[in-house]
Amino acid sequence: MHSRRHALTLSAVLIAATALCSPGFASDRKPVSGGKLSWGVETDPATLNPQLNGQDKTKLLLRNAYESLLARTADGGYVPWLATGYEISQDGRTYTFKLRDSVKFTDGQPFNAAAVATNFTRLKDASYSGSASAGPVARIVEVETPDERTVSFTLDRIYAPFLDFAAGLELLSPGAYSSSQLKSGGPEIAGTGPFILKRYAKGQEIRFVKNPDYNWAPANAGHQGRAYLDEVTYRFLPESSVRTGALTSGQVDVTEGISGNDAGLFKGNPDFTYQTALNTGTPYSLFLNVTWGPTQDVRVRKALVAAIDVDGVLKSVYRGERTRAWGITSPIDTQFYDKSIEKAYGADPKRANQLLDEAGWTGRDPQGFRTKDGKRLTIEVVQAQATVRDQRDVLLQALQAQARQNAGIDLAIVFVDAGTYTERRKTGQFGSIANSNTPTDAIDIEYHYLPVDQGGSINYSRAAAPELSQWLTEAAGTLDAKKRFELYSRLQRFAIVEQAYALPLYEPEDQVAASSSVKGISFRPFKQMPESAYDIWRSE
Amino acid sequence: MESRQTSALSPAPALVASRPFKLRRNGLPVQIASRIGSGLLVLWAAVTLSFVSVHLAPGDIVSLLIGEQLRTPEIEAAIRAEWGLDEPVLWQYLRYLTRILHGDFGRSYLLQTDVSQLVLSQIVPTLKLTAAALFVAILFAVTSAVLTAGRRIPRSIAGALELTLVSTPSFWLGILLLYLFSFTLKLFPVSGDRSFSALVLPALALGLPLGAVVGQVLRQGLERALEEPFALTVRSWGTSGLVLRLRHGLRHAALPAVTLTGWLVGSLLSGAVITESVFGRPGLGRVTVEAVLGHDMPVVLAVAILSAFTYVMLSTLVDILYLLLDPRLRDEGREAAR
Repeated sequence: MHSRRHALTLSAVLIAATALCSPGFASDRKPVSGGKLSWGVETDPATLNPQLNGQDKTKLLLRNAYESLLARTADGGYVPWLATGYEISQDGRTYTFKLRDSVKFTDGQPFNAAAVATNFTRLKDASYSGSASAGPVARIVEVETPDERTVSFTLDRIYAPFLDFAAGLELLSPGAYSSSQLKSGGPEIAGTGPFILKRYAKGQEIRFVKNPDYNWAPANAGHQGRAYLDEVTYRFLPESSVRTGALTSGQVDVTEGISGNDAGLFKGNPDFTYQTALNTGTPYSLFLNVTWGPTQDVRVRKALVAAIDVDGVLKSVYRGERTRAWGITSPIDTQFYDKSIEKAYGADPKRANQLLDEAGWTGRDPQGFRTKDGKRLTIEVVQAQATVRDQRDVLLQALQAQARQNAGIDLAIVFVDAGTYTERRKTGQFGSIANSNTPTDAIDIEYHYLPVDQGGSINYSRAAAPELSQWLTEAAGTLDAKKRFELYSRLQRFAIVEQAYALPLYEPEDQVAASSSVKGISFRPFKQMPESAYDIWRSE
Repeated sequence: MESRQTSALSPAPALVASRPFKLRRNGLPVQIASRIGSGLLVLWAAVTLSFVSVHLAPGDIVSLLIGEQLRTPEIEAAIRAEWGLDEPVLWQYLRYLTRILHGDFGRSYLLQTDVSQLVLSQIVPTLKLTAAALFVAILFAVTSAVLTAGRRIPRSIAGALELTLVSTPSFWLGILLLYLFSFTLKLFPVSGDRSFSALVLPALALGLPLGAVVGQVLRQGLERALEEPFALTVRSWGTSGLVLRLRHGLRHAALPAVTLTGWLVGSLLSGAVITESVFGRPGLGRVTVEAVLGHDMPVVLAVAILSAFTYVMLSTLVDILYLLLDPRLRDEGREAAR
């Protein structure tokens, strides 16, 4: 109980620290322009087209060159960026954006209503955007450009998450759509950002140079006008120990993705700064398949949840560097996280054993696992080998040990290749899949709890209870934030406490460490990912 | 036990016997023609086997491309249409073959880029690394073999070192080298394919284990050569030990080592994936692994062709080296031609 409260206090402090240091960090001295920066990053982008790239880890690179209509504030609000304002019609179906004047793309094309309209209409085309075409953009029935500076989108019916999507879509120059680099992205794909994508060497680095014409930063940025740095290079260093070594030996100025073991090198060290921010979206959770194997029985699912002491496991695996999660969305989601879920359930081995007895898993085999009709109580956790990160393999093993020790459940972890993983996901032949995802505005909840064939692309519990889609449709169909909060809150209690579809484990986070001469590093308000290099400057 | 020991001690005779036999059978033009013919056959086999095995592996390309994103019949249809996956498999295979014959390797499913450009951009850093690693390996192998062959104590020290290098995981060796020479001593930079100094550590990480394997074989060959009667003859001319080893012994010892090196270099070209990721270097290794995992057929096939081509070239090169190294083979070739 004590450690849990500690973890929450810690996260509160971290959030406060992040909020404070965004513009205020540089306040000790006046920022200076010039200089180059090199930043070690973990992930080499699959594509440099920001509209097609779904990797959260690459947003910090691409945001240097590509921008969107509105920026977010820490409390979930919207402030002007490429649009000076927006308006939602009385019936809630039409969104009108007023665009900023005298903005131009870095290929010289003007930023106007037609350019914005092109971006949205092209995204609806599956042959260009694949899965993105079925996202919120699919709900647009009409795009209008009454004048040069006004663009409006009309939806088939009210869809509350649309504003989050429309405000955040990275906009490309209309010229991009006739480039051969359109799908792979690259220097030919111009945006409006404070930096221009200059060179990409796959497997090595990506380089951006200052955009000399830039003068349209979001209203809540650390400064206005051009970026401070002349040039910023991100180097791809997939190994976390190598990133750490490169920073400590001065070969890069900033790195992200610091392992729990290395954090101590930077924390409290005057030569470095170290910042973290919890991710948004669904926490890393063990989803329990309701359509296959023993987890079809709600008693087995509840027993597994009761068998595991999540706090204890996190403490031993991450040395207290990770934040316990309880619900269906991130504890930092200021809009839709209902924290009454915290401590509403928890480790209770006695109850776990009682539930399993009731469910008929009364036998024991020589290894001490429970059995029924001579069959062992095995829950198969399928994990793609290639996507293991953040010591999650160790975490799963710790869960396995607890399930066995406390309740005689055999939590079998099966590491598979990407192809087999895809196959098992598709056929639903798995006991459990552990997963997290980061979209905001409850889109993360839709992905996890809509039926598999109706937009629940990562619904790994494969739950299809009619209540779920009813609540989700109702919540997305109203612009009343209070009503939405209540519906998601009901869904949370139903999914986690009553049905035990998932066991939330921890909220993933981003870490950034930097040499102390680098100032102005921050996380994006609300979205919580590392911010672009726009506000960064060097004090030497 | 008995047979295992023999083969462990002398892999050489078997390797030596098979190659010269082929060379001495025919005249040069026939040899070249059969070389080209078998080379083409190897290329075709590589393409076909890769194609079949990617198709046999679990997971279909459409699902892999969609991954955890939204999936609708329209999206699936758009992807199938884009890559021609709606056609029968045999037809797809034939289409690949025709396209490749026209020099068109297609576009990568995953990266959406032109495969020829992708492979070309990655092959230069790969070749640099391979060449540097090969240099390290040969230098290490020759030095270690010449200095320690037939000398009891140095031999066992070198043997132990070689065994350690061979059995050290390349990931660990890479990190260790980085920690010592880059992070602590700050002699060499960690990442990228930018300057010569950035090549040193990855070349050591990749070349040392290779040199250790070759060194062991070379030393055995050298020891055998030094026991042969000619060694005594040379010594009776008053030649120093080192000259004997370098000028006369090495030639005899080199044959099996050359074969082995040829084979190992081939594997370096697409097998340096761990070294590449530790040092943040571009290269074919990582591209290949990602392509295979993602069933990215155009990239897999291009790499298969490139690897097969490299093996064919290397084995030809090894045969030519044999002729240069061992005059007896040249004579036999002439006799056979006569």
